Amino acid sequence: MKYHISVFYCVNSFDASMLDRLPFKDRVVFKPVKMACSSMVKDVYLLRAFEADADAVVVLVCPEGHCRYVEGNLRAAKRIDWLRRLLDEIGIGGVRLVLCHASSGRANAAGACFESMLTMLEAEGFSPARSRCGAGAASDQRRNGKPQR
Amino acid sequence: MRTPFASKLAALLAQGNFVVTAECGPPRGSDAAAVIQKGRLLKDVVDAVNVTDNQTAIVRMSSIAACRHLLELGLEPVMQMVTRDRNRIALQSDILGAYSMGIRNILCLSGDHQSFGSQPDAMNVFDIDSMNLVHAVRRMRDNGTDMSGFALKDSPRMFIGAAANPFADPFEYRVIRLAKKIDAGVDFIQTQCVYNVERFRRWMQMARDEGLLEDVHILAGITPLKSGGMARYMAAKVAGMDVPEGLIRRMEGVDKKAAPAEGVAIALETIAELREMEGLSGIHIMAIEWEAIVGDIVRAAGLTPRPTAALNRPAAGE
Amino acid sequence: MIVGEQKPISEIREIIAPYRRVLVLGCGTCVKTCFAGGEDETAVMASALRLSLKKDGLAGDIREWTVERQCEDEFIQEAARPAAECDAILSLACGAGVQMVARRFPDKPVLPGVNTTFIGVLEERGLFTEECAGCGQCKLALFGAVCPIARCAKKLLNGPCGGSRDGRCEVNPDTACAWHLIIERLTALGQLDNLRAYVPPTDWRTSLSGGPRKLIREDHRI
Repeated sequence: MKYHISVFYCVNSFDASMLDRLPFKDRVVFKPVKMACSSMVKDVYLLRAFEADADAVVVLVCPEGHCRYVEGNLRAAKRIDWLRRLLDEIGIGGVRLVLCHASSGRANAAGACFESMLTMLEAEGFSPARSRCGAGAASDQRRNGKPQR
Repeated sequence: MRTPFASKLAALLAQGNFVVTAECGPPRGSDAAAVIQKGRLLKDVVDAVNVTDNQTAIVRMSSIAACRHLLELGLEPVMQMVTRDRNRIALQSDILGAYSMGIRNILCLSGDHQSFGSQPDAMNVFDIDSMNLVHAVRRMRDNGTDMSGFALKDSPRMFIGAAANPFADPFEYRVIRLAKKIDAGVDFIQTQCVYNVERFRRWMQMARDEGLLEDVHILAGITPLKSGGMARYMAAKVAGMDVPEGLIRRMEGVDKKAAPAEGVAIALETIAELREMEGLSGIHIMAIEWEAIVGDIVRAAGLTPRPTAALNRPAAGE
Repeated sequence: MIVGEQKPISEIREIIAPYRRVLVLGCGTCVKTCFAGGEDETAVMASALRLSLKKDGLAGDIREWTVERQCEDEFIQEAARPAAECDAILSLACGAGVQMVARRFPDKPVLPGVNTTFIGVLEERGLFTEECAGCGQCKLALFGAVCPIARCAKKLLNGPCGGSRDGRCEVNPDTACAWHLIIERLTALGQLDNLRAYVPPTDWRTSLSGGPRKLIREDHRI
C-alpha cells in the first residue's frame, strides 16, 4: 500500500511537475492541490485531506519575506502549529502536517521537505484514520444540505 | 463619639504607651493546645496578639475561635477578619459573636486571594471590601446599628484596625489612601514590615504633614529575617516590600547558623530607631512560626515589663 | 462580545458518544469573533470529529450548519431541517445560544461544545480580555472607566490591596492590577482626588447574585 500525501501549493512557491521526478515516487501517491495563495488555505481543507485518507499533508508556502500577501506565510505557520496540536489531540499525530518554505528557484528545499516526510511516514506508518475498507467508505458527508462533491 | 475603653490595646495607646503587638497563626486542625502553646510564648511580652484569618487562604482554625482560646489564657487578642470568605451577613454575625465572647479588637483586611491557598477551586466572596468593613464596625460602635440600619441590642464596640503599606502605591495616592482609611473609622494601623527605616520615616512625615497622625495610631511592622535566602526572597517575591541591598548582603555575609541572630540584631537596630520616631505608637512583630523569638526581641529591646492598662471594661454581659 | 473557548475533542467525544448522527451547529456572532464557533470553526470541528471517530473505527455521521445567531429564534429556525435529521445537536454557541436552541428543538438533545467564559473585548489581535461582570449597576464613572468589579480579583472599591506588585495583580502577573490602571487613568485626567470619596458596599441585587435577570421592554412587545 502506498503512502498518500496531499500537497497544497501555490504557483509562486512550487512547480508541481517536480513530484513526478522524486526518487521515491513509486511508494507515494501524491495529491497536489493548486491554490492562488497556499498560505491562505483554510484549516478545514487540511483536515478534510486527512478525512480523505491522506497519511500526510504538506503545505508549501513562499519563503519568509516573499509572500505576495505580505504576512500570509507567517499566519500560515501559526495556523498550522494550531492544527498540529489539534491533530495530536485527535490522535492522528501532528507530525503528519508540515509547512514547508519553498521557492520555484530552489527546488531543493521542497525536495528535502518531501524526503523528510517520507522518513517520518516510515516511522509513523499510515494514518490511523485511514479507512479500513477502502477510501470513501467511512460515512455520508453532507455540508449545509449539499452532498459532497 | 468614643465610648469608655473596652479594649486594653486602646487603653494603652490612649495612655501614650509605646505598644508591642505580635501575630499568631491558628493550627491546621482543631487542637486548641497548639494555640495555647503559642499564646504562652507571647504572654507578658506583648500587649496584644493578632490572630490571622485563614491566612494565605489556607484552611485553619477560625480566628474567632483561636481568639477565644487566647482570651482564656489572659491575652488580649486582635481578631483579624478578611472579606474574602464571608459576606456582610456572616461578617456582622461573627463580629457580634466575637464581642459577646470578650474580643475587643478587630483588624479589617481584604485577604489573600484563594488561588494561593489550599482551596484554589473555591468561590471567593468579597461581598464588601476592607474599607466597607471598617465603616460597618465603626457604625456598630458609634451608631449602634448594623449595616441594614437595624438598632442592635448591645452593639459591639470594637477597637478598629487596618493594615497599610508605606512602600507600595504611587506616592500621590498614599495620602489619599491613608486619609480615607482614617475617615472610615480606623483607630490603629499596623504596617507592612519595615526594613528601610528612612523610607518609612518619609511616609510618617507625610502622614504627619497631612495631620493624619492626630486621628490614628501607627504601629510599625517588624519581621526578623532568618536567612540570606529569606531576605532575597522577600525583596524579590513579596509585593510591596522594600529590603535594602545592604541588609540582604549583611544576612548573606554571615554563616548560616549565625544568620537568625543577625536577623534579630537587625530587628533590634530597627526597633531602636523606630522608638525615636516622632508620632509612632508602637511596633507589630510578625514572626510567623517563630513565635519564640518575639519574647527574646522584646526583652533585648528593653521593652519589658509590659505596662498595665487602666481599663474601663464593661461588666460581663454588657 | 461574549468570549468562549472550544471544549477539548476528548470531552466532546464523550458528550456526543450516545448519538450516531450529530449536527455541529455554529453561530456567526460572538463565538465567531473569538474563533470558537463561527462557520470556519464549525467546519473544522465537524471534520475533526469525523477524523476522531474514523480513527477509532466508529461509525458516526457528523454534519454541520451555521446560523447568524443562536440567541434569537428567527435565526435558529433556519437550522430546522438539518436539526430534524439528526439525533443530537452539538452547539458551538455561547451558553445562552445552547439553551435557546434547546427550547426551539425540545425533542433533540442539545449539547455544548464551547465553554463560555466572559464579556470582553479584543485587546489586540488574538488577545481577548474580560472587562465587564454584568453587575447591573455601572460605576465606571467613579473609576475612570476601569471596572474594579470585573478586573480586580477581589472586587475592591476603595483602593488596591497589598498584593499589587509593579502594577500587576497578585493572582496572575500577566494581569494588570485594575487599581493601578484606575490610579493611572484618573491621574492622567487630573481627577485622582475622586478616589478620596468613600465608595459604599455594592448592592448585589441587580447582579446574578439576586437571581437570573430579565429585561422587559414593553415598547417592543406587541
